[in-house]
Amino acid sequence: MVTGLPINYMKTTRKNIQHLFLRSGFGSLPANIEKNISRSIPEIAEEIFSASQNYSSLDFINNPIKGREKKGASAFQILKMIIKSRRETEDLNIIWLNKMAQDPAQLREKMTFFWHNHFSTNVPFSYLMQLQNNTLRKFALGKFGELLHAVAKDPAMIIYLNNQQNHKDAPNENFAREAMELFTLGEGHYSENDIKEAARAFTGWAVNRKGKFEFHEHDHDYGEKEFMGRKGNFKGEEILNFILENKQTAIFIATKIYREFVNHEIKRERIKSLADDFFSSSYDISMLMKKIFTSEWFYDEENIGCKICSPVELIVRYKKIIALEFENDQALIDLQKALGQVLFFPPNVAGWKGGNNWIDSSSLLLRLNIAQALLNEGRIIINPKPEFEDTPDEIDEENDEHILSSDWTIMNSYFTNNENDFDELLNYLVQSSVQKIDRDKIKSLVNEAGADNKIIKMASVIMSLPEFQLI
Amino acid sequence: MKTNRREFIKSSALASASVLVPGFLKSAAKNFSPKGYNGKSLVIIQLSGGNDGLNCLVPFRNDFYYESRPDIGLGEEDLIGITDHAAFNKNLEVLAQLFDGGNLSVINNVGYPNPNRSHFRSMDIWHSASDADKYVQSGWLGRYLDSTCSPGCSKPHLALEIDETLSLALKGENLKGLAFRSPETLHLLSSNPLLMKEGENNVSQNSMHPQVDYLHKTLAETTQSAEYIYQHSKIYKSKSAYPNHDFGKRMKLIAELIISNSETSVYYVSLAGFDTHVFQKGTQNRLLKVYSDAIKSFCNDLKSNNRFNDTLIMTFSEFGRRVKQNSSRGTDHGTANNIYVIGGKLSKPGMYNDLPDLKKLDNGDLIYNIDFRNVYATVLQKWLEINPDFILKKKFDALSFI
Repeated sequence: MVTGLPINYMKTTRKNIQHLFLRSGFGSLPANIEKNISRSIPEIAEEIFSASQNYSSLDFINNPIKGREKKGASAFQILKMIIKSRRETEDLNIIWLNKMAQDPAQLREKMTFFWHNHFSTNVPFSYLMQLQNNTLRKFALGKFGELLHAVAKDPAMIIYLNNQQNHKDAPNENFAREAMELFTLGEGHYSENDIKEAARAFTGWAVNRKGKFEFHEHDHDYGEKEFMGRKGNFKGEEILNFILENKQTAIFIATKIYREFVNHEIKRERIKSLADDFFSSSYDISMLMKKIFTSEWFYDEENIGCKICSPVELIVRYKKIIALEFENDQALIDLQKALGQVLFFPPNVAGWKGGNNWIDSSSLLLRLNIAQALLNEGRIIINPKPEFEDTPDEIDEENDEHILSSDWTIMNSYFTNNENDFDELLNYLVQSSVQKIDRDKIKSLVNEAGADNKIIKMASVIMSLPEFQLI
Repeated sequence: MKTNRREFIKSSALASASVLVPGFLKSAAKNFSPKGYNGKSLVIIQLSGGNDGLNCLVPFRNDFYYESRPDIGLGEEDLIGITDHAAFNKNLEVLAQLFDGGNLSVINNVGYPNPNRSHFRSMDIWHSASDADKYVQSGWLGRYLDSTCSPGCSKPHLALEIDETLSLALKGENLKGLAFRSPETLHLLSSNPLLMKEGENNVSQNSMHPQVDYLHKTLAETTQSAEYIYQHSKIYKSKSAYPNHDFGKRMKLIAELIISNSETSVYYVSLAGFDTHVFQKGTQNRLLKVYSDAIKSFCNDLKSNNRFNDTLIMTFSEFGRRVKQNSSRGTDHGTANNIYVIGGKLSKPGMYNDLPDLKKLDNGDLIYNIDFRNVYATVLQKWLEINPDFILKKKFDALSFI
C-alpha cells in the first residue's frame, strides 16, 4: 500500500470485484467483471450506488379496498381469504426473485432483502405485504430513523405484532417489545418497564379497513409515561426518537449489517468505528454501506467466500448465471420451502437466523443436487412439508418431481473449452479456498464424459462443490 | 445430447466410487455406535394444523360439550367408551384398544402460558420448547443431540425425521438430525456422482474459513449416515400388513429401522391436514383413521418382534381447538390439548389427569394445567435417560406416566 494514494489502495482483482458484487447485490456476470477490471474499487462502488438511485416498486397486487376482516365473515370465508392471499403472496415472491436477478438497482434490492429479514413480518394480506416491501425498498438506503418510523406505522407490521390489539385500557406489548429487542437496541438494553411504557405510547396506532395506518385518538393513552429515565406524555413517535438517540441502536444495526455483509465473526473495533460513523451521520445507511464496501478490510481474504449463501441468494445466483427456471412457479416456491427460506414467509418475527443454520443434511443434499439435475434432464425431487392450512386433499404426496431448465448462452459465450478457461470458470464460480479443490479430479470427471458441452459439465461439477455455496 | 448426459453420470459414478472419507472424520466413523442410544426409541408423531382433541377423546356425559357443538359433537354411535366419562372417537380404535391393554397414557390439558394461536408460532414454541415470548432458534431434540456428544462427534442418525425436510425440533445448536423420506432416495442423492467427496488431501481442519469445513463435514456425515441408514433399511423388511397410505409407509419404515437395530433414539414423523375450520367431522375422522390404522400395524409389528417395550410413541399437535364450533361446522384455533403416550412399560397407564373442565374456560378456550415441557422433561429424563435441564434451558419436573 502506498501512502498518499488512498483512492487506489485496494487491488482490483477479479476476486475482489466478484466479492463486491456478490455482497452488495446478487453477483455479476463475467463480462461485467471484465469491464470493471481496469477501474478502482471506489469507482466501481460509486457506480453500484448510483445504479440504485432510481428504482421501481413491486406493483402487482391491487388494493382490494373493500374492508378485509369483515365482521361476521364465516370461517370458510376467512380460510378462503387466507388461501387467496397466500397464492398472491407466492406470486409476489416469484416476481421479487426475478427482480433480484434482473433489476439494475442491485444494492437496493439486496438492502430491501436485508430489511425484509430484519423487520420480519408475515400476515395473510398480500396487498399489505407488497406495501411493506415497497416501504422497505423506498427507505432501504436512506436514514434508518425514517425507515424505523415508516415500519412502525406499516399496516402489515401493526397487524403482525398485534398493535391492532394495543388499546388504551388493555395495552398489548408485542410491538413495543420486538421493536426494542429485535429492531433497534437488542436484548439487555431496556427494562420490562420500558416495554410497558412504550406499549402505552403506541396505543391507538391502528390499521383501518382500507389497509391504511390510522391514529385512533380515543384509544391512545395520553397519560404520563416513564421511558428510559425520561418522563412525559410521550407519543409513539417520541419513543422511537428516544430509541434512535440511544447509540446502542447504531451498534446493534451496524453489528447485524457487518455479520450479514462482511463476516459472521465480528471485530469489535470495526463495529465500534462503523457504529460511531453511522450514529454521527444520523443513521445514514448509504454512508454505512459505502464505508464497508470501500474499506480495505472488506477485501481481506478472511472476508471473501466466507458466507453460506441463503437459499434466496443461491436461487437468484442460479437465475443470473444460467437463467434457472422451473416448469411451473409452484416448484420454485417448493424449492425455497425445502431449502428453508421463502420470501415473504419468514418463520417468525426474529427472521431467518442464517449462517450455518441454513445447512442440514437434507438442505445441503438438495442444494448440491440442483446442479446434477441440470444434467439429468432437469429432473429434481422437491418435497416440502405441507402448509398448516392445507386440507388432506391438497397434500399431494406423489407429485414431487419437478423439471428445471437452464440457459447456458452467457456462460458459453464467455468461457471456451481450454485449459485456462477451466481455472477461470472455477475462479468465477467459487470465491473461497480454490487452492484446496482437486482440479485434476474435476477435469477427469469432465473428460470421461466426452467432448461436447464441456462448459456445462465443468460448471455442473463446480456447482456441486460445497464451496459453491459460499459467497 | 441426452444420452451423453446419462453416460456422463454413469461414467462419473464409477470415478467417484472410491470415495474417501476425510481424515478428521475417520475417528468419528469408528465410533459409529452412538453414545446417546440407550436401547430405547422415542417416536414422536406431530399432528399438524391443530388437532381437535375434544373430538378425539370425547366427554360424552357432558351436556356442555353437546351444547357447544350441536353439529359436530360426536354421539354414541361415533364413539368407543373407555371410562364412565370419556370415549374415543371410533376412528381412533387403536387408542381405545391400547387404553384397555394398559399401553396408553392420556395426558389432558397440555399447553403453555400465554398461548399463541398462530400455527407457525405455536409449532415454533413446541419445537424449540421456548416460552411464548422468547425466540429460540434451536429445537429440543436437536439440543438432545447436542448433549449426547462432545463437539466434533458425528451421529445424525441418532435422531431421524421421516420427511424430506428437517423440522426445527431436530436442529440443535451444534448437531442436527437427519431427514429423509426413503433410504433409497437418500442414498441416491448422497451418491450423486458430481458430489466430489474429496479425498484426504484436500480437506483440512484449518481452512481459512470454518464454513468450508462445516459444509464438508456436514456432507461427509450425511453420506456416511445415508449409507448407514440404507444398509440398515435392508436388514429387516416388515412382513406385517400396513395401510397403503403415505403415513402407513412412514410408520412402516420406522418399525423396520427399529427392528433392524439402527440405534436411533428419536424418530419424528408428521401427519398434516388437521386445520379443520370447515366441515370438520369428515376431514378429521378420515385423518384419525389414517393415524389409527398405521399405529395399529406399527404396534403389532413391534410387539411381534419384541421391540414394543423399548419404544415410546408420543402424539401431539401445536394446539387444540376452541370448544364451541364455528358457523362453518368447524372449529377455530384453540389452546390446550391432549397428548397420547403409547408404550409397553408405562407406570401410569390410563387417564393421567382429569378431562378438561368445559365450564371453566379462558375466553372460550381450554385452560392448560400441564406444561408441555414437563412432558418433554419426562421423556428426556426417564426414557432417553439424559438430564433435561440444559435441553429445556429451565427446570421442569418430570411427570409420572413413565
